[in-house]
Amino acid sequence: MMKEGKFGTMEAVALTTIVLITKAFYTSIRVLVKATSTSAWFATLISCSVSILLFLLVYLLMKRFPNKELVEIFEIVTGKFIGKILALIFSAYFVYYAGSSLREFVEMIKAYVLPYTPPSAIIFVFLAVVVFFAYVGLEGIARMSYISLIIVIIGLTLILILPLPFYNVDNLFPLAGYSLQTTLFSGLLRASAYSDVIFLAFIINAIHGVKQFKKVGLTSLALSGAIISVTILCSILAFEYTQASENLSALFQLSRNIYFNRFFQRVESIFIFIWVVASIMNVALAFYMSASIFCKTFKIPNHRPSLLPFAFCTFTVTLLPQSLSEVVERNVLFLRQYSAVITYLIPLLVLLLSLIRGKKGEKIKI
Amino acid sequence: MKKKQNFLIMLFSYITYKDKKNIKEFYIPEVDEISKQQQDQKIKDEKDSVHKEKKSRATLKKPVSVAEENEERKAEKKKADDKTISTDIAQNIDYIKAKFNAPANKDIVFREFMIAGKYKAFITYLDGMVDKNIINNFILRPLLNDEKFKDTNEGCQLDYIVQRVLETNQIRTITNPTDAVYEILSGNTLLYTDGCDYYITNETKGFPARGVEKPVVEGVIQGAQEAFNESLRTNVTLVRKIVKNPNLTTEFIKVGQKSQLQCAIMYIDGLTNPAIIDEVKRRIDNLDIDYSQGDGMLEQLIEDNTFSIIPTMLTTERPDRTASHLIEGRVAILVEGSPFSKIVPVTLYTLIHSTEDANMRWPFGTFLRLIRLLGIFFATLLPAIYVAMTNFHQEMIPTDLLIAIAKAKENVPFPTIVEVLLMEVSFELIREAGIRIPGVIGNTLGIIGALILGQAAVQANIVSPVLIIVVAITGLGNFAVPNVSLALGIRLLRFAFIIMGAFLGFYGLTAVFMITGMYLVSQKSFGVPFVAPVAPRTTRSSDLISRKPVWKQEKRSDGLNPIGIGRQPKVSRKWTQEDPNYSYSREGNDDEGR
Repeated sequence: MMKEGKFGTMEAVALTTIVLITKAFYTSIRVLVKATSTSAWFATLISCSVSILLFLLVYLLMKRFPNKELVEIFEIVTGKFIGKILALIFSAYFVYYAGSSLREFVEMIKAYVLPYTPPSAIIFVFLAVVVFFAYVGLEGIARMSYISLIIVIIGLTLILILPLPFYNVDNLFPLAGYSLQTTLFSGLLRASAYSDVIFLAFIINAIHGVKQFKKVGLTSLALSGAIISVTILCSILAFEYTQASENLSALFQLSRNIYFNRFFQRVESIFIFIWVVASIMNVALAFYMSASIFCKTFKIPNHRPSLLPFAFCTFTVTLLPQSLSEVVERNVLFLRQYSAVITYLIPLLVLLLSLIRGKKGEKIKI
Repeated sequence: MKKKQNFLIMLFSYITYKDKKNIKEFYIPEVDEISKQQQDQKIKDEKDSVHKEKKSRATLKKPVSVAEENEERKAEKKKADDKTISTDIAQNIDYIKAKFNAPANKDIVFREFMIAGKYKAFITYLDGMVDKNIINNFILRPLLNDEKFKDTNEGCQLDYIVQRVLETNQIRTITNPTDAVYEILSGNTLLYTDGCDYYITNETKGFPARGVEKPVVEGVIQGAQEAFNESLRTNVTLVRKIVKNPNLTTEFIKVGQKSQLQCAIMYIDGLTNPAIIDEVKRRIDNLDIDYSQGDGMLEQLIEDNTFSIIPTMLTTERPDRTASHLIEGRVAILVEGSPFSKIVPVTLYTLIHSTEDANMRWPFGTFLRLIRLLGIFFATLLPAIYVAMTNFHQEMIPTDLLIAIAKAKENVPFPTIVEVLLMEVSFELIREAGIRIPGVIGNTLGIIGALILGQAAVQANIVSPVLIIVVAITGLGNFAVPNVSLALGIRLLRFAFIIMGAFLGFYGLTAVFMITGMYLVSQKSFGVPFVAPVAPRTTRSSDLISRKPVWKQEKRSDGLNPIGIGRQPKVSRKWTQEDPNYSYSREGNDDEGR
């Protein structure tokens, strides 16, 4: 088996939270505001609660097989062959996730900060960092995520508080947006946006078992739901929904708008810093997960030799879309709206199957 | 006529061919070549000696007494070698002479004499390593005083000498010849009398050493002004002087084959986690090297990651700092001949602490640390941020400042990155030259440095004045780092940041920042994660960056797992809970609610 090391609850929460809230830096907010207008900020809370419900169902599955990781559970319930295929679907999903997120990042950084730099240079540096992170391993990523989360939260707070003079409460009305049905429907659909939390099920031994799994999952889902909701709220407050649905990145626009006097204005540097930090953590984890799930599926004891091939795969995925609009319309739409089909549906089907077949894990002696 | 002939010969010599004169040049032969030569020489010598012996045997055979013959046989039975000490004085002298390559080696001194007029004896030591006063007055004088040997018995005299004659403070019996050689090497005096099969070693170390002076690298305003020197004994004593604890243990380990370096490991028994002590000893014990120059080489040999930019051990020249870390549950490694102690295990935060923080009241201590952190931030990032901002993110600079920078840069022909590298490299050059420069001409360096960095470069339009400020602040920041190795690491990292900043702006900076962070959190110092207690998160420390008041620092570092984590009880200032001896109660309740 792979040795992944262990880390504490705080680090696990930080890791999950930073992965979940990275979306707030990208086009997610714009899409949601476009779909639900002024009600976007509680639409995301609906998504979050739906995700929490689904997560609890996954928790039931994990509880049936204590001390087993999802890859092993797949094999126990569905047999070796199908189990391996299911695990590989997840591995491929994480490659797709990493590649698409990276592409979204590259497109945005080209648009905002580095218009003349060749994208391949940006991708190369990013992948180098990500491969190094994955090389060090999960323990390192978790520790780094704790430090990163502190930085990101501080930066985020600054960006959300400093444009205070531009906030207008009137922008929030009408509260229900286009209509409550639309909001509810969008909220349900975008539960996928919080489905990344599933990665915890693959590293359950590193976070000290099922109990911590539940605790970490719920805490980080609630935390990230709150953070994203507040971000959307601030975005609507500052721009009203028409403009907010046009911004490529709401947070970037917010940081650009900051103006106190001629000297203290436009603090995008803070944004760029925390945005890159969060993106690196996000992609590094997805990348590590893809390699690690692959290695666990085939019982390869060391994940390091597989990193370069996986980096190549990720690079390929990154280059597949033709433009930013294609990334947003296809890759990101899939990740944020329909990925639950993979991330939640597969474990739930496995849970159902295990109930029908009466499979259960060994009880642990306490 | 003769003159003419000579002239002809000379003339002739110009046009005739002459064999070149064969000049033999020196070369360094292979080892087996030398041994072959020596063997040849030996065989030749043996042949000669056989001839001579044959001759001498033919001529002379002396009759000997029975007692003498017995003695001879005894001596023949026990030859002095690396494992046994002979009972014959001549054998032992020969053995030690052979070991020390005497008489070619003039450092080793033999002094032979007779005890009580009948026992042959000798003392031996290395010249210059010993205190001659002790040898003359407290070893030789009593030994040569026949009065003291009135009631001796026959046989080995050493026991009697140890008990009644010698006047030195430390005496040990040595039964192993290798140990005997080591004793001589460490400056002790060996005593032997005929008929014994062991040596006596007397503590006579007396080599020249520097006195205890003020710290050079880690100077403080408030606090002790003592530093280690090059003598291991003194250093250990300096620490022991501060830690008055019977459990403070000093263990000695030898390192190196060709030169045995004495190394002391200090810890407090019953406080330091035994696993740490064991690991330190295991690493030092299992070194198979030729020579270790001092603590710097030892550090490289036993550290966790040889390729680490940032040091994973704390180097300090201060006995008080060493003592405070010992009491914290760490292990100190001191090395003969180096005025520093190495402390393990440490975390990143230990490296940015200074002794002074503890001596100051807590607000000042905390403030100084924040300043130091700011210094580290400037030293690593400031030039890189400047490059990134001016190259990629001009819109982030406030307009007025941007205009000022642009104006200053107007006449400079180089791109910013060249400017920055130019200044950084020349600054590094000045710093390196400043250390190597002979003291007499040291003052000139300041003038040259100031001229290059300052006025001239700006006037010649080589660099912009803003950059001078940036580089100067960077340099200042670097000097604020209290640990020399850490400062060096930061100096190297700075260049990585500058280059990435020049290529990819803030994005590049952040990438290097993340790599550095990841690198740091994955490091370990003797089993303790390097960035603990932040990543991985363990119990909060009361003395990390902000210092709590001394009485609130109730626990030792969690990462070290010491035996007994508590430093002091919850109430350490017991006097606050009782009334003063001379007190009065105020009238009225005007203090209520305070």
